Amino acid sequence: MNATAPVAVDPITVEVIGSSFASITEEMGEALVKASYSTNIKERRDCSTALFDVEGQTLCQAEHIPMHLGSFIGIIPHILKRHSIEAMKPGDVFIGNDAYEGGGTHLPDIVLAEPVFHDGTMVAWAVNTAHHSDFADRGHAHIYQEGLRIPPIRLYDGGVLMKDVQELILLNCQVPRERLSDLRAQMAANRLGVERVKALCDKYGQATVLAAGRALQDYAERKMRAGIASIPDGTYRFSDSFDNPEIDAPLTFSVEITVAGEEMKLAFDSPAQMRTGFNMVYTALLSTVYYAVKTVADPTIPPNAGLARPLTVEAKEGTVLNCVHPAAVNGRIASCQRVVDLIHGALAQAVPERVIAACSGAVASATFAGTQPGTGELWVYLETIGGGSGARANKDGLDGVHVHMTNTSNLPVEALELEYPLTLLRYELVDGSGGEGRQRGGMGLRRVYRAEAPCRLNIDNSRLQSRPWGIAGGGEGQGGSFVFSEGVEPFIKGDGSLEPGQIVEIITPGAGGYGPVAERTAEARARDSAEKRF
Amino acid sequence: MAWRIGIDSGGTFTDVCLFDDASGEVAVWKVPSTPDDPSRAIARGTQEGTERVGASASEVTYFGHGTTVGTNALIQHRGVKAGLITTDGFRDLLEIGRQKRPDLYDLQADKAPPLVTRDLRFGVKERVRHDGSVEIPLDEDGVREAARALKAAGVKAIAIGFLYGFVRPDHEQIAKRIVEKEFPEVFVCCSHEVAPEFREYERISTAAVNAYLGPVMQGYIRRLAERLKELGLKATPHLTQSNGGVIGFDMAARLPVRTVLSGPSTGVVAAQAIGAMTGIENLITFDMGGTSSDVALLRGGEAKSASDAIVHGYPIKAPMLDIHTVGAGGGSLAAIDSGGLLKVGPRSAGADPGPVCYGRGATEPAVTDANVVLQTLNPTHLLGGRMPIDQALSRQAIGRLADQLGLDLMATAQGIISVVTANMAKAIRVISVQRGHDPRDYALVAFGGAGPLHAARLARELEMKRIIVPRNPGIGCALGLLLTDLRANFATTRLAPLSEDLVPAMTEAFAALEEKAEHWFAEESVAPADRRLRRTADLRYQGQNYELAIDVPDGPIGPATITALGEGFAEAHQRLYGFVAEGETVQLVTYRVEAIGLVPKAQFRPQPDAGPASEHAIIGSREVWFPEAGGFVDCTIYDRDKLKAGNRIAGPAIIEQMDSTTVLLPGMTATVEPYLNLILETP
Repeated sequence: MNATAPVAVDPITVEVIGSSFASITEEMGEALVKASYSTNIKERRDCSTALFDVEGQTLCQAEHIPMHLGSFIGIIPHILKRHSIEAMKPGDVFIGNDAYEGGGTHLPDIVLAEPVFHDGTMVAWAVNTAHHSDFADRGHAHIYQEGLRIPPIRLYDGGVLMKDVQELILLNCQVPRERLSDLRAQMAANRLGVERVKALCDKYGQATVLAAGRALQDYAERKMRAGIASIPDGTYRFSDSFDNPEIDAPLTFSVEITVAGEEMKLAFDSPAQMRTGFNMVYTALLSTVYYAVKTVADPTIPPNAGLARPLTVEAKEGTVLNCVHPAAVNGRIASCQRVVDLIHGALAQAVPERVIAACSGAVASATFAGTQPGTGELWVYLETIGGGSGARANKDGLDGVHVHMTNTSNLPVEALELEYPLTLLRYELVDGSGGEGRQRGGMGLRRVYRAEAPCRLNIDNSRLQSRPWGIAGGGEGQGGSFVFSEGVEPFIKGDGSLEPGQIVEIITPGAGGYGPVAERTAEARARDSAEKRF
Repeated sequence: MAWRIGIDSGGTFTDVCLFDDASGEVAVWKVPSTPDDPSRAIARGTQEGTERVGASASEVTYFGHGTTVGTNALIQHRGVKAGLITTDGFRDLLEIGRQKRPDLYDLQADKAPPLVTRDLRFGVKERVRHDGSVEIPLDEDGVREAARALKAAGVKAIAIGFLYGFVRPDHEQIAKRIVEKEFPEVFVCCSHEVAPEFREYERISTAAVNAYLGPVMQGYIRRLAERLKELGLKATPHLTQSNGGVIGFDMAARLPVRTVLSGPSTGVVAAQAIGAMTGIENLITFDMGGTSSDVALLRGGEAKSASDAIVHGYPIKAPMLDIHTVGAGGGSLAAIDSGGLLKVGPRSAGADPGPVCYGRGATEPAVTDANVVLQTLNPTHLLGGRMPIDQALSRQAIGRLADQLGLDLMATAQGIISVVTANMAKAIRVISVQRGHDPRDYALVAFGGAGPLHAARLARELEMKRIIVPRNPGIGCALGLLLTDLRANFATTRLAPLSEDLVPAMTEAFAALEEKAEHWFAEESVAPADRRLRRTADLRYQGQNYELAIDVPDGPIGPATITALGEGFAEAHQRLYGFVAEGETVQLVTYRVEAIGLVPKAQFRPQPDAGPASEHAIIGSREVWFPEAGGFVDCTIYDRDKLKAGNRIAGPAIIEQMDSTTVLLPGMTATVEPYLNLILETP
């Protein structure tokens, strides 16, 4: 079959096949969550699913975690660099996670990719990534400290498990039982994707499905072009401050966005890459830009590769925002969040009503690791904690939600305490944390843990020194912070230990307000005061 | 004379279905709804409906009612001012939820507002641990102060929900007693009574929804009961729940959260009965109305049910039929988006102005306009001639879209149908392929005003070979009310590995649930011979957090029960996820008992076979657009009311009746079966 053979597909068939792609990726995601064992997947849903065309261009990504697009756009090109398509066969499954050789953005996001064959021809890829909460209690001076690097290699060869490969991977994990079961759930998800795409080809014909896939990418491109065209031409610049528990002095990130007709160029500037975990590889930068521009240009653009075509993204190699080997990358999402703030801050000058004030600017997280009292097994528990979402031109910001590059769920208290030797003492909105304004910024969260057994803990947060900014005279949101109970040894670069009975309180940033507070309505003020939000 | 009456109260019409036990006669009646107080239309419908068949309300032996009062109060945020008493430190949980934002990319999207505002949520010192031990005893003074503050604030309902209330309910029980003492007139409910299950947010949210709706439902039920009494109704009235069964008015008033999907669930029950009549047990129901379509799956005659769902943005843990709703109906609007693709819905023309062809000023074409242009719908009038329409307006509106798409008028009209069909097919995939069922093994049951019009295309899209169109597709839900049983669900969560050691604990758990069920049977006056119990257990691999419900075989619990559960789980896991984790521990999570009180149901009677000839039912012909036949085809029009059992029709054909139009595509055949349901088949 010649993949480029022209097949005319009418816009209605394209829409119908597009709906099918969306249902397939959704179904893959549900199977992944429901069959998995680790709290990070089964309750927090830190995973994503997608379909790709043979060349590695996204056909459809399910609406899970925007950050994961970075791992997706990298994986297929890296597979193709190492393996010839001719040697691939049904039942091959590739596994990879490396940021430099595996197309990943950090090591815990393990990608499984399976080619879809129909009538002997490779027609697509079923791909998913799951954040395996493992590789905990590590250093972040360079990537060799961060966990096992997996280039794209076969985990299954023609349907046969490569046991040696699996054993090598599992021996390098702290909680191998969870890793194994999550990998099985990832397999189940891809298997569904493969079956569904084959059925789609049976039904509409391979050529039609492939042509519809290309048409959907063209469609996303047209929508992105239409969205960019609606932004006034010009050059918009913005700088922001980045801070993190790993560094003492804040860094400056900046962007210059040039809008010219239907195209947009984004050029980023940041300090040289550092011996810290918050460096970003280029694919992480790309997925961040695609997310941020889509929210402003047109949130309804289908999440496929076509939307990237009108965008040019530049950043100097070897900098924090475009790092090279061997920079550590585990905490890259913190920097990604600030990149979204940069883009929204710059575009606020062009289309202020379509952007929102700065959100929490963080993915505040707590990674606990220890030994289960009783069984002696290692345990790792990752929680990421939402914060304030920025005020909108005509509406208050959302309180206590995940913003921008992530959207994971919290772990219910009743699930958390059953699995780990921890007690959750409080989980609540932080009074007064949203920025003042005509529209109020969203409120941050406070989550308070008490250790019931000795454990190691890594904590991440941002806006510890700077504050989420407001728009058009709106006030700043409150920053993030940590409070430890008496006797806790000081944490170094976010790392430390807790003894039984010791308490850590994680406070996430609020968000900026929109418009002068003097314009806030009397009704809204009365509500703020009755509900003690300030 | 012994009449059974089913009344479905919808947004526009209140449908009445009457059945005479003696003669087998079925009569239907519609009256306009009275949304400000639906009990008025119900009383009127009861009165007019019974008068029309020459009966009186006192001759009614059964009264079943489906309502949207709960759903509407939830959608329109017209519940009562409610308060929440919860564990100190967690009062914002109701608002934080699972901390996800409502839309990944749309920065303007909002979360559903919390049903209890922050100033009315009180944290009280207390703490139970996951093993049921008490770390901090309940601060009873704190509860008292909260109750007084809520009383002063003028709330009408209070939800009480503490962490681990499902493991150890006594803190909630003590708090409830204190609230009842301080504030006797308030509606109060606890999380362990409403949804005694794991995951605190979802459980407390369910209690909050219940409190929010409680007084609304109580008031409604009281008014309705009074009106029915005034009419002279002697039968005990029943109300449907989201699980497809009915309960008495008292329980409905205590647990209104169990009625939020009351309306669509009875449609599923009707489909189930029609399946039993026709001998077709694997069904997918398709109820298409003006703004949305509801779909559900029945396997072996049983509807799939779910133990939780997110309803209008609020998580609810309550037994409900697994009904999926999609914003695709006859009024769904067609438009071209900025990327040049044709989109249909979820925006809808609504009842006013309605589709363009109504001539009430609408300019954006709806699905109905496409049908008018294609002439699958009568191009001059609808509703059996009662409503004139203007096809020229539909043609102009769709012509404008056609120009933008670069397609011709007819291809665009057909395209609107294809896109809306794809949207509905996607909804059916959610309840079938996503749950491991192949729609090709199922028959489609089409009802609602627009269901029979679109069923043939939808079935073709999903490669389903058979469609059932009930005798009265427009009143499916009211009919279902005559066919449903009393139904209540009881559950308890007790985590334990599935092994033979579990036999005593399982025996005890089911015995306790069965005792509750028996108590309920007594309360509903169900005769012992009419009592049925169904036991299921929710299982998962230890480590997973989503369970699969597996049937527990009848009879005493023993080692064989454990084996059967293990095998049932492995089979279900393989079907859904494609693998079995050999050697891993299977964990039992929740025991469930469904109590069913059998109600004597309407017994429909088969009609004698009148032979295949159907010419007597022909009322004319018109040109109808069938792309598979190359364009307009002169198509015979049949009157559904004149069709007799055994009659056969070859497609293409159109079959009209007062409240619905059935499209038969070229190559399909339709047969009238003995109960006058139409069976459409693709050879």
